Amino acid sequence: MNDKIKRIYVPMTESGFYILFCLQAPQHGYGISRRVKELTDGAVTISAGTMYGTLSKMEKDGLIVFHGEEEKRKLYVITELGREVLDIEIRRIERLYKNSKGENTDE
Amino acid sequence: MSETLIRFFTIADYEEEEIWLRERHKSGMKLVKMIPPCFYIFEECEPRDVIYRLDFKNSEQTEEYMSMLGDFGWEYFAQCFGWLYFRKPADEAETEAEGELFCDSASRSEMAAKIVKTRLLPLACIFLCCVLPNLSNAVSGRLGAFSGFFKVFFGVMFAIYVYLILHCGIKLRKIREKNR
Repeated sequence: MNDKIKRIYVPMTESGFYILFCLQAPQHGYGISRRVKELTDGAVTISAGTMYGTLSKMEKDGLIVFHGEEEKRKLYVITELGREVLDIEIRRIERLYKNSKGENTDE
Repeated sequence: MSETLIRFFTIADYEEEEIWLRERHKSGMKLVKMIPPCFYIFEECEPRDVIYRLDFKNSEQTEEYMSMLGDFGWEYFAQCFGWLYFRKPADEAETEAEGELFCDSASRSEMAAKIVKTRLLPLACIFLCCVLPNLSNAVSGRLGAFSGFFKVFFGVMFAIYVYLILHCGIKLRKIREKNR
């Protein structure tokens, strides 16, 4: 992974993280938004323009890739690179969570 | 019954325009068409609280974008000079983000930056390369017999351009700062 990708995507915004997280299985923009709303009990919702913009950027940067169409909606799925970024983020959030609970993560 | 109103919003006043259109719809007049630069054609309708949103795409919108906004419940109904007009009934937006086109400050600030780059900078160029030299020629009498007319004409143009550039420049900067 090059520095540019790291600089842009680590750390990620909450909506960016959820979008990438949902794309572990092929999905379209609207489907992602429903899924995120469900996962967070409505605490996180992603606006249409932000969804479109994030998907375009992630596709351009190679984190996700076009995966066919479903009822005229473009499906995307995570790539190797996207997976790498997501794993870094998950580890960062785990550390954040453990530290915030006062658990030692040094070992 | 339809009605045509004249109202001028600059390229930096889109948030005010959204509020105005929402108020109009609440009072039973919905926008059906916008004719540049300042004619708004309304049609009588059932009064309803409807959220209006403007997106500046500068003619680069794709089919995918339009269909995604449709999926999210946005009705696209007009466009004007690179601006796309969308609306959605307020009661269909369950959360704040669902009533917005952009829920992150980065995209909002990006839109303001795009307006500066594709609209405000060209305006400033016209001002510097055309309005200013012509005004100076007119003032110094180099435009011959019609110097008097040109003096007034370019004087007025000068005032309009200075006002627009300052007003829009300051406002768009504020929008970007608010979303930093």
